[in-house]
Amino acid sequence: MSSFPCIDCAAVTDPRIEELATLLVERCVAVRPGWQVLVMGHPGARPLLEELCGQIGRRGAYALLRLRLESPPTRAWMLEADEDLVGRFTEIEAHDYDTMDTYIVVEAPENTRGGADVPAAKVAARNAATRPHMKEIFAGTKPWVGLDFPTQGLAQDAGMTLREFEAFYWGAMLLDWEALAERMRVIAARFDAADEVRIVGGGTDLRFSLAGRHGLVDALGANMPGGEVFYSPVEDSAAGVIEYSEYPACYQSHEVAGVRLRFEGGKIVEASADSDEEFLLGLLDADEGARRLGEFGIGCNPGIQNHMRNTLFDEKIEGTVHFAIGQGFGYLGGTNESVVHWDMVKDLRPGGRIELDGEPVQENGRWLF
Amino acid sequence: MALLTLSTDPRVDAYAKLLVERCLDVRPGMQVLIRTTPQAAPAVFALERELARKGATPILRIGFVTWPTNPAWAAEAPEELLGELAEIDRFACDHMDARITMDAPENTRDGSDLAPERFQLVKKAENYFYRRSMSSEIPWVSCAYPTEALAQAAGMSLAQFEDVLYGACLIDWDAEGERMRRYADAFDAAEQVRIVGAGTDLTLSLAGRRGEVDKGHTNMPGGEFFYSPLEDSAEGVIEYSEFPSSYQGHEFAGIRLEFHGGSVVEASATKNESTLYDLLDRDEGSRRIGELGIGCNPGLTRPMNHVLFDEKIDGSIHLALGQSYEKVGGKNVSSIHWDIVKDLRNGGRIELDGKTVQENGRWLI
Repeated sequence: MSSFPCIDCAAVTDPRIEELATLLVERCVAVRPGWQVLVMGHPGARPLLEELCGQIGRRGAYALLRLRLESPPTRAWMLEADEDLVGRFTEIEAHDYDTMDTYIVVEAPENTRGGADVPAAKVAARNAATRPHMKEIFAGTKPWVGLDFPTQGLAQDAGMTLREFEAFYWGAMLLDWEALAERMRVIAARFDAADEVRIVGGGTDLRFSLAGRHGLVDALGANMPGGEVFYSPVEDSAAGVIEYSEYPACYQSHEVAGVRLRFEGGKIVEASADSDEEFLLGLLDADEGARRLGEFGIGCNPGIQNHMRNTLFDEKIEGTVHFAIGQGFGYLGGTNESVVHWDMVKDLRPGGRIELDGEPVQENGRWLF
Repeated sequence: MALLTLSTDPRVDAYAKLLVERCLDVRPGMQVLIRTTPQAAPAVFALERELARKGATPILRIGFVTWPTNPAWAAEAPEELLGELAEIDRFACDHMDARITMDAPENTRDGSDLAPERFQLVKKAENYFYRRSMSSEIPWVSCAYPTEALAQAAGMSLAQFEDVLYGACLIDWDAEGERMRRYADAFDAAEQVRIVGAGTDLTLSLAGRRGEVDKGHTNMPGGEFFYSPLEDSAEGVIEYSEFPSSYQGHEFAGIRLEFHGGSVVEASATKNESTLYDLLDRDEGSRRIGELGIGCNPGLTRPMNHVLFDEKIDGSIHLALGQSYEKVGGKNVSSIHWDIVKDLRNGGRIELDGKTVQENGRWLI
């Protein structure tokens, strides 16, 4: 007989955190019994991470918690190790990625620029080592979901107090996903049926082809919040100019203002920026595919209206589009390959327009159908 | 180019170097598993840098409690999943080339609210992790990082705790090793050990067993030499009246154990007695002694309510109930290994084959 003093004092969990965890576990990755689920994230996301572990447990699956102290997770090691070592994935690391059934990654950085001092070459070497083990993730055959959790760092980037950021965050996360998905399916049907897309806006006139390509509606999928319709455009089709004059382009702890790209035959032939141009040019030369488009996305989340220097949210701003240079989506017919996948967001609400095969379908960020 | 490294305390870097070089002797290409909590972040970063310099890769297993235990999951998962690690975690245990366990709790009671049957299953699963280190197949080290919780449990400020920890770790380990070897030689040559002290008169046989000196390898701080006594030899009584003892999140006081034929035949405690009984009844081997250790670390003079430190207090001995060490000839098998520390500095003595070798915690040899 045991007289262990077991006081069953379950701490009260914020009901919003419970609801979000349920969306993630049951809808986004649909955890099944016996699965090995990697749960990764910063310690600041503790309430959500623990709720996730509990819910995964209730579904009869393993929650394998991997807290990250920095971004990238082994920043201190990467700074000190030589590039050759950084570029080698060990047996245990490979096995984690190869055999997990799904992963959930929750970013809760105290400082969103924590990785700013890791040389780009080492980041690229690490990404290249990781890639072969992410095949099923990229191919869409293994589910995953990535999201943020409110921290002072994220709020600061967004130009908000933590309180303001939290109010915004829950508004973008916990909305009527069924209704939004339905609306986005209507939008996707129009783009699926079109061949040529033309984007016009401040300093921008860009055409590209979606011929033979189908789009994906992002609702309760690999990103939370979702709220975009996205494509991999035909690789050699982009022609014209795009100027990201409204928002900085944010990637790997860098923030590049005024990016301007000129395309010919699908390839970037001219590039400039108002700040951190060297970083931009460096990435364009990362590999063969870095100068081509991997993604065209249309932001549709009504809970997101303002740019917050955070791609996960920014690319879903209602009335914006985004293009990613680099890696395309194989499951959407994309064939471009690159270690880069850099989403840059263009606001079309101030005077922008989208045309499909010559017919305007969106003006000033508002749909015309 | 000099890298600006922001360690809050320069001792952290020296500590990390000690762990990587002395304790583990890390070689290029090794996968070194580090399990700890976010509280130990400065030490994790210092370890990462040291490993990079050795050409090795850190396998970080950072949890809110020490990996592979995950109470948030274990409280909710079906019990049939709890008793064995997930395949991914077993693979890591099977393939790690070295491991560092760095205790750094935010609250020393974390995990203690798991239902007892779940807790036991989790501990059973965790044994898989210890397998390869307990059989000396891979280099390993258990250590701690100064946290407010550990300081609080020790009755100290964080600054005091840091001073004790680094004072007990950053010492001349080769010199300490030689000193301890001298004592261990006397024990190796003896057959019978007798421990006498307050409420205590216990004899054990070490016949045919050799001791091992912990001179700063598998434990940091190190500073003990230890044996697995003959499993059926313990006779007499030991009373742990000086220090409290903690095990698996439970705190005990005034433990008294009476042995006959190597096994505990009577037991009592002034605090948490029923849990003591539960532990003694855990399995076949939990009533027998797996280890006799003699604490020798000059930097450790007062109890800190943490076995890693307390068992090395200069002038103390400890007996572990349960699992013994194969490498020193031990044969006892158990899911527990509970070190309980006895202070001999106030009127205690150790006799080897009838000859007194230590009195009041001071060596006579």
